Formats: sequence, C-alpha cells, structure tokens
Amino acid sequence: MRRTRALSAVALALAALLVCPNDASARRGKKKKSAAKTRVVVAAPRFDPHLPLLGTKLAEFPPGPAKALADQACLACHSVDLVAQQRLTEKQWGAEVTKMAGWGADLPADRREELIGYLVKNFGPDAGPWEPVVTRPAGR
Amino acid sequence: MKKGHRDSGGGVSIDRRRFLALSAAALVPGAALAALTDGIPVARRRLLQRNGYALDAETPLDALTTYLTPNDLFFVRHHWTPQYSGHKGWTLTVDGEVERALRLTAQDLRRLPRTTVTCVLQCAGNGRGLFQPSIPGVQWKYGAVGNARWGGVRLRDLLDQAGVKPAARHLHAFGSDKPPVRVPPFHRSVEIEKVLADAIVADEMNGEPLPALHGGPARLVVPGWAGEHWMKWLERLSVQAEPQKGFYMDTAYRYPKEIGPPGVVIPASDMRPVTELVVKSNVTEAPPRARVGSAVVLRGFAFSGAPDIARVEVTEDEGQTWQPAELDSQHDPWAWRLWSFRWSPSTPGRRTLHVRATDSQGAVQPRVAPWNPSGYLHNGWHPAVIEVDA
Repeated sequence: MRRTRALSAVALALAALLVCPNDASARRGKKKKSAAKTRVVVAAPRFDPHLPLLGTKLAEFPPGPAKALADQACLACHSVDLVAQQRLTEKQWGAEVTKMAGWGADLPADRREELIGYLVKNFGPDAGPWEPVVTRPAGR
Repeated sequence: MKKGHRDSGGGVSIDRRRFLALSAAALVPGAALAALTDGIPVARRRLLQRNGYALDAETPLDALTTYLTPNDLFFVRHHWTPQYSGHKGWTLTVDGEVERALRLTAQDLRRLPRTTVTCVLQCAGNGRGLFQPSIPGVQWKYGAVGNARWGGVRLRDLLDQAGVKPAARHLHAFGSDKPPVRVPPFHRSVEIEKVLADAIVADEMNGEPLPALHGGPARLVVPGWAGEHWMKWLERLSVQAEPQKGFYMDTAYRYPKEIGPPGVVIPASDMRPVTELVVKSNVTEAPPRARVGSAVVLRGFAFSGAPDIARVEVTEDEGQTWQPAELDSQHDPWAWRLWSFRWSPSTPGRRTLHVRATDSQGAVQPRVAPWNPSGYLHNGWHPAVIEVDA
C-alpha cells in the first residue's frame, strides 16, 4: 500500500508538469489518487513549434500581369492553395472561372480570358509539382 | 493487463506498470513525450494544409496509425469559414413535418439519452488528387479520413421528442457556415430511414466536447456515409417530404449510375447522390528498406460502407497471389480495422507490395478506382515500395 502511495505521489508530480491546466479530466484524475490502480492523465498534444500554425501560412499567386486580377477574383472566398494545387486544362479552368463568376467572383467580363490564360500558364497540366503546407495542428 | 487507452480528457490513462515503464522512458524526453501522448511521435503530429482558408487539411498517413484518430490530428474540411458561435446562446431547432417543433440548448441536448458511435469519417473527395485525368477541386491524397468515437444523441430519440409525421422522408440539415457573395449555401439532406437507423447529433469527439474545427457545438454523424452528410455547426434540422435542393445536392456530390470512360462528362440525369463509403484500405507504415530473409511489418487501416471488414490481403506479384494480413481485434460497425502484415522478402531489388480489403458484404477493393467526373470515393490498391537489400 505504501508503495502504491509512493507511486501515486510520483505520478501526480509528473502529471502536474504535463497536465493542461484547463483539462477537467485532469481534475477527475487527481480525485482518484487513492485508488489502488493509479490513473494519471497527461497532456496530449505536442508539436514541432517551428511549423506554421494551420491556416496561417498563405501563399501568393505567381508574378505576372494578371496576378492582381487573380487576387481580386479568387481570394475573397479561398486561399491561393486551392488554385495552385490543381492541374487543369484550358477547358477545365474556363469552366471553373465561369462557375466562380456566376457565384459573384469580382471579375470584369472583359478580363475573363486574361484570367483563364494566367491560370493555364501557371496551373495547367504541365505545371510542376505542388506540395501542401506542413502545419502545426490548431489543437483543441 | 490492459494497455493504455484514451481517457475522456483526450490524454492517456495508464495503469501502474505502464507508468513505471513511462517513468523509465522519461530519461529520454523525446521518447517519453511520444509515449505520453497517444503513441504518435511528435515528428508525425502535423496536418497538410490544402487550403489556408476556408480551411482544408489532411492527416499524413503516418499519423493515422491508431484506432482512434486524435482530435487535433483529424482532417479538416470547411466549405467556407464558419461562424464559431461556441455554446453560449447556441440552439438547435427541429421543425418541419413534426408534431412539435423543438428548440434545444446545448444543456437540453445533454439531458436526452446519450450514445456513442465509433466510426470512420471520410470526405467523399478523399483521393481526388490520385485520379487521372485531373479533376477540379481539393486535391486530397490519402488523409481526408479518420476514425473517432462520437458521443451525442440518437436522431431517433431526438425526433421522437418532436413526433415525426407520416409525410417525413428526408432530414434537411443546416449549419451556421454562411457562404460569401452569391455562392450557394451548403445545405444537405439525408434519407429518413438512414437517419432513424444510425445517425446521431454529436457534441463529443473522442470524449472531448466537439471541437469547433470539427463542427462544434454539434454536428451530424451518419455512420458509413460520406462526410458531406455529416453537417457541421448544426443550427437547424427540418424534417421534409422532399430532399433538399441546391448546388450541393443536385450538382455536387453525385456519382455516375454507370461508370464511363475516364475524362468523359456524364449527364446529370445519369448521376446519383454519393451516399455509402466504398471498401478501401491504406498502408500507414512500411519500412523504406528491408533485407532478404529478415521480416518487416507493414501496417494500415481498412474500412467500408459495409459495417465491417472481412479481410485484408497483400500481394507482392501484382495481384496474382494474395497473403492474408492480420486484423486487429478492435472494431465497431463502420469503424476502421487496423491491420498488420509480416513480410519476409525473398529476393533483392525494388519491390512493390499492394494491399486490398474485402468487406463483410463481399465487396472487394479494385485495383484501379473508377474515374468519375467529381473525383469521389477513390479506393484503388495502395502500393508500398520497399528497397530490398541482398
């Protein structure tokens, strides 16, 4: 019994170092310190602190005469990532631009072809690889 | 002796013997931290961002190694940035073809009979980025999937309180995420038979309050069906005679009634809604190198729209012969099965192993996923490439 208590004390000391202060389950864990079966609740997530937090690293559209147009038309609703990861043909980009214009994208009708040309040039079928941003999860 | 298991607080509860082992591990801080979290090492605890806003992020396969996917490592799929209301002032309205409309607070919801369901949540578009030719949309690879223990209230208990009228055929679900400009709202409905049989309103995920990123205060959970049915940030449920209308019912989330040639558009009249998931397995751990005669272990998960997985098999000869993988004992209806396979390479060189699953209804994972115009339900064989030294 004494050994159990000693273990409990060590366990609680370690838990105190690791438990999230707001974690209600940790408080429940402490109530069980006298139980024969020691239960310790420890903090769950640990992340590489050098990674950007999910949703904080935002890419830029590649340079070009139509970059400002792409910013204006696309970025009200979604980040550059969503465009830059796709590898679509001129026909497919045309269909996407038509859909987005119908949904209210800020795109003057006389600049539609300019935007499609920019998208095909940078994100056409032969564009290079795109990798997702490795991020630190946002936690609880 | 029972091994460490997840506690309701999302940490790990450990017994005494395991604590002693962990105390020893504490001498090596990195190893101890991995052990004290949930078995997923710090270096694997990350999400792959595919859209900075509205947030879309998938889980790397090497972090999908546990039966329950930790909440913070669970994939995130937003159509647009939601209004994070929190619990204060939140209510859930139930109306439509019911005898009594309801308006429930979070506390009201918690007073109803509770249940838990452990099952897979997968985005219908998981694997879209693997299809050729390319398909517009988020280019998910493997990780828009996870397995969690969802806690909440059965829809049938909730709808019993409201009294469903005979005309009820569909449950319309509305969340608090509102689209910008003229973008159509993400409104969906689910057939009432599926709702009454299996669905819950979940306000807990793996024993924690449902995180806002995953739809908190409450979301629908529709076991065995693809993620678009699992409406997040629930505000209103309306029982109706007809299905929901709009872009996200009539155009998006539809699958060909008969598969056509890759790259060919199919008329809307020949499409049906995506509902059940399809049989699928993935490799989550495989060594990059091995040695002839020395066994290595591959691991992964398998799931289906059928309630269980019957077997997982591995081939090292492009499907001519198959060897059974070992299924983990943990399973629940529509949850995934972890599997492992011990492989002793017999010849040197670059070897490609493939894995396939068969579900409890006899459906077998195909070598090549059927191409479809929106890139849904990818389930082709997953390869593992291993360099074998002599």
